[in-house]
Amino acid sequence: MKRGYLGEFEEIVLLTVAVMEGGAYGVAVTHEIAEQTGRSVRLNQVHAALERLEDKGMLKSEMGEPTAERGGRRKRLFTTTAYGRRTLQEIQEVRESFWAKLLNPFRPATSL
Amino acid sequence: MNPPRHADRLLQLFCAPHRLEEIQGDLHEEFRYQVRRVGVQKAKWRYWWDIVGFLKPRAGWPFAIKRRKHSTTNQMNATMISNYFKIARRNLIRNKAFSGLNIAGLALGMACSLLIMLSVQDERSVDGFHANGSRLYQVYERSSYDGKVEASYTTQGLLADELKRVIPEIEFASSYEGNHLYHSTFEVGEKINKVEGTYAGADFFRMFSYPLVQGTPETALNTPIGIAISRKIAEQFFGSPEKAVGKAIRYENREDLIVTAVFENVPANSSQQFDFLRSWQAYVKENQWVTNWSNTSPHTLVQLRPAADPAKVEAKIKDFIYRYKPKDQGSLVELALQPYPEKYLHSTFKNGQIDGGRIEYVRLFSFVAVFILLIACINFMNLATARSTKRAKEVGVRKVVGAARTALMGQFLGEALLLTSVSIILAVGLVALLLPVFNTLTEKHLVLPVEQPVFWASLLGLVALTGFVAGSYPALFLSSLNPIRVLKGSLKFSGGATFFRKSLVVFQFSLSIILIVGMIVMYRQMQFIQTKNLGYDRENLVYIPIEGDLIQKYNLFKEESGRIPGVRSVSRMRNSPTVNDHGVSDISWSGKDPNVAVSFSDELVGFDFVKTMNLKLKEGRDFSKEFGADSVSYSGFLLNETALKKIGYQNPIGKPLWWGGRQGTIIGIVQDFHFNSMHEAIQPLVIRLDETKPYGTILVRTEAGKTREALAGLEKTAKELNPNFPFTYQFSDQEYAKLYKSEQIVSQLANAFAVLAIFISCLGLFGLAAFTAEQRTKEIGVRKALGASVASVVALLSQDFLKLVVIAILIASPLSWYAMNRWLDGFAYKIDIGWWVFALAGFLAISIALLTVSFQSIKAALVNPVKSLRSE
Repeated sequence: MKRGYLGEFEEIVLLTVAVMEGGAYGVAVTHEIAEQTGRSVRLNQVHAALERLEDKGMLKSEMGEPTAERGGRRKRLFTTTAYGRRTLQEIQEVRESFWAKLLNPFRPATSL
Repeated sequence: MNPPRHADRLLQLFCAPHRLEEIQGDLHEEFRYQVRRVGVQKAKWRYWWDIVGFLKPRAGWPFAIKRRKHSTTNQMNATMISNYFKIARRNLIRNKAFSGLNIAGLALGMACSLLIMLSVQDERSVDGFHANGSRLYQVYERSSYDGKVEASYTTQGLLADELKRVIPEIEFASSYEGNHLYHSTFEVGEKINKVEGTYAGADFFRMFSYPLVQGTPETALNTPIGIAISRKIAEQFFGSPEKAVGKAIRYENREDLIVTAVFENVPANSSQQFDFLRSWQAYVKENQWVTNWSNTSPHTLVQLRPAADPAKVEAKIKDFIYRYKPKDQGSLVELALQPYPEKYLHSTFKNGQIDGGRIEYVRLFSFVAVFILLIACINFMNLATARSTKRAKEVGVRKVVGAARTALMGQFLGEALLLTSVSIILAVGLVALLLPVFNTLTEKHLVLPVEQPVFWASLLGLVALTGFVAGSYPALFLSSLNPIRVLKGSLKFSGGATFFRKSLVVFQFSLSIILIVGMIVMYRQMQFIQTKNLGYDRENLVYIPIEGDLIQKYNLFKEESGRIPGVRSVSRMRNSPTVNDHGVSDISWSGKDPNVAVSFSDELVGFDFVKTMNLKLKEGRDFSKEFGADSVSYSGFLLNETALKKIGYQNPIGKPLWWGGRQGTIIGIVQDFHFNSMHEAIQPLVIRLDETKPYGTILVRTEAGKTREALAGLEKTAKELNPNFPFTYQFSDQEYAKLYKSEQIVSQLANAFAVLAIFISCLGLFGLAAFTAEQRTKEIGVRKALGASVASVVALLSQDFLKLVVIAILIASPLSWYAMNRWLDGFAYKIDIGWWVFALAGFLAISIALLTVSFQSIKAALVNPVKSLRSE
């Protein structure tokens, strides 16, 4: 089966969930992405992406503990599935093979 | 610090329910974070902004987070449906009284609406059957006199032919004598009969869709001696239409006419009704005055060419009259067009513009139909919600085993539809039973159009609408019940539900009270008109038409009948005391302002007119044979008070007056009397003596209690003098009552509907009272055990309902006052609506409601407390 298509934003969300190792839920993911990339990310975008990734089978979720600052509501905690992790790896490999073929690697000053 | 509540509510409304918790949690967490970071105010703004983000539509599904499909099993399978039916049937059977009330109320309401729908449909279909209907127009004349603008359908006798000749867009045109029908006597061999009919132009049958059995539309009315008769008359005189055509028929014992055409009997839904038509050429020959373009009487009908623009034609004919007569100073006459099919419902004028007519009654009764149906629906809602305690457990159990709310709503709506279907079957039966009565009351020919699919479709529509309206509230209410609370047994109605039920009762009773007030006011106005002093004595006055040999022998008849015992005096007039459609504009007097045109009504009468009519003379004298000069025409005039006021003479008797340029003197002033209907104010009236007209009415004043002998004598005399005409007569009071036929019918219908509305409302109240009494059984038991009297318990139970009725009275009184004043505005002479009308209506409503409620409350109050308290 071919690897499922991932958009750029979905890839970042998936990566973030993987990085956060069990502590990933809506607000936390949003803050993490904002911190790491400097983009302004909106909560609803993250929620939509998380839902799509779950539909694709790259994430799974379960309800966590309620907290006071959430008004006694539970969080939905996301973790990556094996399929999700393999997808990330494949993307990484494709990129690396391209980077390897680059004859004149960019100099640090122009890369950002 | 909490996030904005409204924003939360918005989210709850739109968010997928299975995701609400986590999303809301995230949002709240984010809010707290932002409060720390940027402060409360900004955090609130951000919160709104975030929520709006979740509302953004997305391709494929409406909102940011997809709603999950119901995971429950499909509840619309055969087993469930048969279960729904089973439960519905059991509920119906278990509560026979409630079901009966429900069905009876709905059936009555729907029968009422059906009846009204049928008659409204019938009214709207009048004159709709003409194939050329969209091109047929009626010409009306707008005239300004004396600063007033008036309009009427009466036009010049030669107008139709001239319009067709001059205006190219007019394809056909026909005059039609539509003010009154002629009751003419016809004779073929031994058969003599009176037939109703009139005169029409040569194009008449080419314009209007009255199919001809014999003859052609082109030749039916194009000779003065030709006559077209209906199939009915043809069969009466000749045996069949085929035998009739080409034969001679004796008319008014005066001339022999030839039957040129036989038409199908005119359908009941035509506003023109006639059994014979004579040609317009004959009319012109018999009425020389039509050649004068100042005189108006017949109607003019035109048919435009298919491409013609009616607005342009109307502009073209506006000044048409002045091609034939010079402009008068101070007056203006214009022609205008009205689409002919609209004329039946829109035929009254106000300030020269078409303004209402029968359409007002059509609208009024459409409203009443909707009201009554609404009252019946409200009954249904009230009874269903009141009974909901009984069904709440069922709802709870259904919900626990996984019924979705939509399925429950479907169930209750379905039950409402089922009940409505049962009711409509009863309603149709009821209508079938009531139609003959209704038809005699309204003089209509309604039938249930069972062969028309449209009828069945509209029945279906009525069922769907009623079922949906009646079932919507119970469905919403019952399906919203919380299963945990219901099954724990602590179901309490929220203030909202009780308030809603109470407002429904108030609404119902307000409508009923409005109808009751309408009933009282209409009845009183009718009484007022029937008993008002008209200025003449309408009791013991007999009308006999002047026809045949009576035209020549009127004086002989007057002389001979004066000798009949029981006859007081005899006179004659051109029209009759109840109808006067003649007017004259060229009356002048010394000192008259030549720039102002004043129109007068005029009347031509015989000797002893004032005496026979029993009019009051203010000054002067009656026309009398003792004054030889009276018999010279235009020599003496009688005026009414209104006319005298217009003229302004100080001592009028003996002063000169000119009528069409001929001078005479005023011989008497009569007190104002009503010679038209009460819808109009009394017009200025000029009366002159003229006993030569070949038509008119003989007035005979009889002595009270001797009318029968007088009539026998009159018949004998009439037979001797006028052997070829059957003796016919009318009573003045009956003719007068006919003027207000439509008001009488409306008043009677209003009575019936008001009674029905209050009855249906009471059915609902009865059910509600039973329910409350049942709910409070224990309370009543305890009260009685502690020594409460029956009276105090009854008062306790009735109080709540009476409050509602009182509120309804307060709401309904101003509304009905306004509505009835609008109705009364149509009369120039009318009653005042006193406060007692509302008091009476309120008293009626209260006592009926009390009667209904007390039956239940007395029953509840009489129960032995031991019995009601025993169960626990």
